Amino acid sequence: MNNREAYNTAMKEIIQIIQEIASDAQIEARQKLTVTVSPDQLHPIMEALRRNETLCFDYLISLTGMDWGDKLGAIYQLSPSADLTQEVVVITATTDRDNPLLYSVTDLYETAHLNEREIYALFGIRFINNPDMRRFLLNDQWKGFPFRKDYIHDPKLNGETVVSSEIIDIAPRIMEGEGGELIEESVAVFEEEDYIVNIGPQHPSTHGVMHFRTSLDGEIVKKIDIHSGYIHRGIEKLCENMTYPQMLHLTDRLDYLSANINRHALCMCIEKAAEIEIPERAQYIRTIMDELQRISSHLLAWATHCNDLGATTAFIYGMREREHILDIFDKTCGGRLIVNQNVVGGVMFDIYPDFQKDVKAFIHYMRGRLKEYDNFFSHNAIALGRMVHIGHLSHEDAISFGVTGPAGRASGWSCDVRKYKPYALYEHVEFKEIVRTEGDSYARYLNRLDEIAESLHIIEQLIDNIPSGEICAKVKPIIRVPAGQFFQSVETGKGEFGVFIEGRGDKNPYRVKFRSPSLSAVSVIPLISEGAFLSDLIGITGSMDFVIPDIDR
Amino acid sequence: MTDSSFFLVVLLAGITLVAVGLGAALLISPRSVNFQKGEPYECGLPTHGTSWMQFRVGYYLYAILFLMFDVEIIFLYPWATIVRSLGITGLVSILMFIVILSLGLAYAWKKGVLEWKSTTSK
Amino acid sequence: MEERSIGMEVNDVKIKAFPAEEFKDNDTLQRYIDELKEAGSSVIVGKLDQLINWGRANSLWPIAFATSCCGIEFMAAAAAHYDLSRFGMEVTRNSPRQADVMVVAGTIVNKMAPLLRRVYDQMAEPKYVVAMGACSISGGPFLNSYNVIQGVDRIVPVDVYIPGCPPRPESLFYGLLQLQRKVKVERFFGNKRIKRNYRPETLIHPETGETIDPQIDFDNE
Repeated sequence: MNNREAYNTAMKEIIQIIQEIASDAQIEARQKLTVTVSPDQLHPIMEALRRNETLCFDYLISLTGMDWGDKLGAIYQLSPSADLTQEVVVITATTDRDNPLLYSVTDLYETAHLNEREIYALFGIRFINNPDMRRFLLNDQWKGFPFRKDYIHDPKLNGETVVSSEIIDIAPRIMEGEGGELIEESVAVFEEEDYIVNIGPQHPSTHGVMHFRTSLDGEIVKKIDIHSGYIHRGIEKLCENMTYPQMLHLTDRLDYLSANINRHALCMCIEKAAEIEIPERAQYIRTIMDELQRISSHLLAWATHCNDLGATTAFIYGMREREHILDIFDKTCGGRLIVNQNVVGGVMFDIYPDFQKDVKAFIHYMRGRLKEYDNFFSHNAIALGRMVHIGHLSHEDAISFGVTGPAGRASGWSCDVRKYKPYALYEHVEFKEIVRTEGDSYARYLNRLDEIAESLHIIEQLIDNIPSGEICAKVKPIIRVPAGQFFQSVETGKGEFGVFIEGRGDKNPYRVKFRSPSLSAVSVIPLISEGAFLSDLIGITGSMDFVIPDIDR
Repeated sequence: MTDSSFFLVVLLAGITLVAVGLGAALLISPRSVNFQKGEPYECGLPTHGTSWMQFRVGYYLYAILFLMFDVEIIFLYPWATIVRSLGITGLVSILMFIVILSLGLAYAWKKGVLEWKSTTSK
Repeated sequence: MEERSIGMEVNDVKIKAFPAEEFKDNDTLQRYIDELKEAGSSVIVGKLDQLINWGRANSLWPIAFATSCCGIEFMAAAAAHYDLSRFGMEVTRNSPRQADVMVVAGTIVNKMAPLLRRVYDQMAEPKYVVAMGACSISGGPFLNSYNVIQGVDRIVPVDVYIPGCPPRPESLFYGLLQLQRKVKVERFFGNKRIKRNYRPETLIHPETGETIDPQIDFDNE
């Protein structure tokens, strides 16, 4: 409790510091504490927050680009890793639409590298002092910035083609000189004599369409450059033309292994914004289905990780276990992978009569299977040789890159959203947060298996106590979200998934942003696999467990 | 006499099998040529740079070691077919052969050839 | 010379334990058979055709081309519960040169389209394409997106369409069985293949901006 009081006083100090640095900053207490500053003040404020001794805001949760019609800007969502319940939102905007420039925060937060590149590709805002200002998600030849409000898609200008364009490894950037003048320069990403190989996108082990442009020194990986966007479908832009219930369907297709949990996040965000109360029975069903989804996601992650290391039997075993969960989903709501269960106001389908019996049988079965996995794989000499001390991710790097989930907790960072920002019924159940400190692939591997055991424990506590009642609250036929900015985070199988909605009182959202845990996980791959063997790179990507449509959205 | 004619039959059968297999494939296979088919496969993307480059010497060393022990195995096969008639002298001489080659392996192991070394400093 | 066209009836195309009446679409197959009937062939060549087609149809090797959610359902279909190995297709090859069929499972976006085409071109004949899932048939839920190809048959010619989002493994199997029937009807000798659906109306060169028609050799006699 001492800590809590210390942090509260520290927050007041921080507000004072902000007012000292930027006297014209607007500080409001909306859903989160929001600070609106001009672009010149952004970097000093972020630096003050980052370097504060008592309450160091070292975790940049999400960086959202915005087009407010007259202004283009960005929204930064910050949190201290020591106390994840505190959050500060910093907003900045510039009125220059022809050449919008903002200061980069890549020197403070490593996760800003890829996020700022994404904002450049979609909005056109360039960041000064970002060392690599290439577009992230779109083709290099793309003309226009799709997420701007005045963008009209012209199929002739940005058409479909089957001709590959050559990938040019030159990174343009804008640096600020001593006198404050802006220098535009270009640097080469790879050296002249490097042997460059494309790993992916059409590759069995990249878990989707991820393109790692790798420079190799024999068997050793020298440098990896991440190219993404091979499944960029523009979901956030599509959501702007859809009503809130229509938007729910697209969240299932983001991280499809945690489909239910993503949809839960979006439903909660809309419900909190529109102030809709959910019945108790729906909360129980949502939490149980979330935990079942988490188990199935971890099972698939385990299965594909072992498959990448060469153990195909483990893949067959993991998929076999997963079929039990998919049968339960199938009988509840008809979908196996894409579970259309959550709606705004509750859940769509009630549980079927044998639900409790099936789930209890599954819990018992899965516990036996976890022992079996431990017996035949977790202590195998080859498995240990390929996972222990491989792909070490340090604590500071995990926070700076924003790697949450089992991978972040394997580096000693306690960051479970279910514990710190609890939602649904997680305050009422008792479960342990699995944290390990080694930070290598083996720790991440064991984290996932232990989290399956914890999820089984959570389901056990809830399955017999489902109250009777309605499954969905009465909601108006047209849902309108009042004007304002709304955030919601949940813990998916991969990490912290965040939803940001800016509403204007219409039936369509003005802007939707999904904070993707897989983007952080993939941004750390060049760091932890430098100097590793090529086969270890595949093992490392398997252990970090990212899903590509979550990155590209 | 029968040995050499047996050998000839086996040789001819081998040649015929290969010729029939390849010839049949050549005659009845569908033809289709386009530019992309001749390109090297690199996960769907065009390759970067030239492939004629210096390879790391580590690959060569692994290949040579494998080759030596492969040849050793080939020498062991004829010995294994007549091991009973050779008796102890045969056993001793083959053991000396294996020991000499193992000395080579031990030397390579000690010199660190079996570990991959990076040529760039890390 | 005895003239006999092979596969004269739909009922002659046999799939084990799945009689022809239970397939929903027999008319399309009958149309294919009629199209191929032109110059009959002798009995010997016809029987050899049937033998080779039987071997080919029961060992179609797919290439691993899963982009998104349908890929997971493909993996689930290949796993133990819904075994794809019964049809000879569990060997997903990673290299297109060793693969027969490309199951396009997942959304294809503008950035991925050249790769899809290149991988298709690098496959060796005879090759087939199966469009699995709503996204590869027509763009799926992402209908008005600026980056999604509205149907993969704008890029490669497609043999079988399997609707669903994602299709259940049983649907995938039904589609693959239809593909097997298509293979069994073809004439291997003389290389008479069935024309496939392809509608590349607006493929645009990225630099010059003109429409292009990628070379496709269908009937390579």
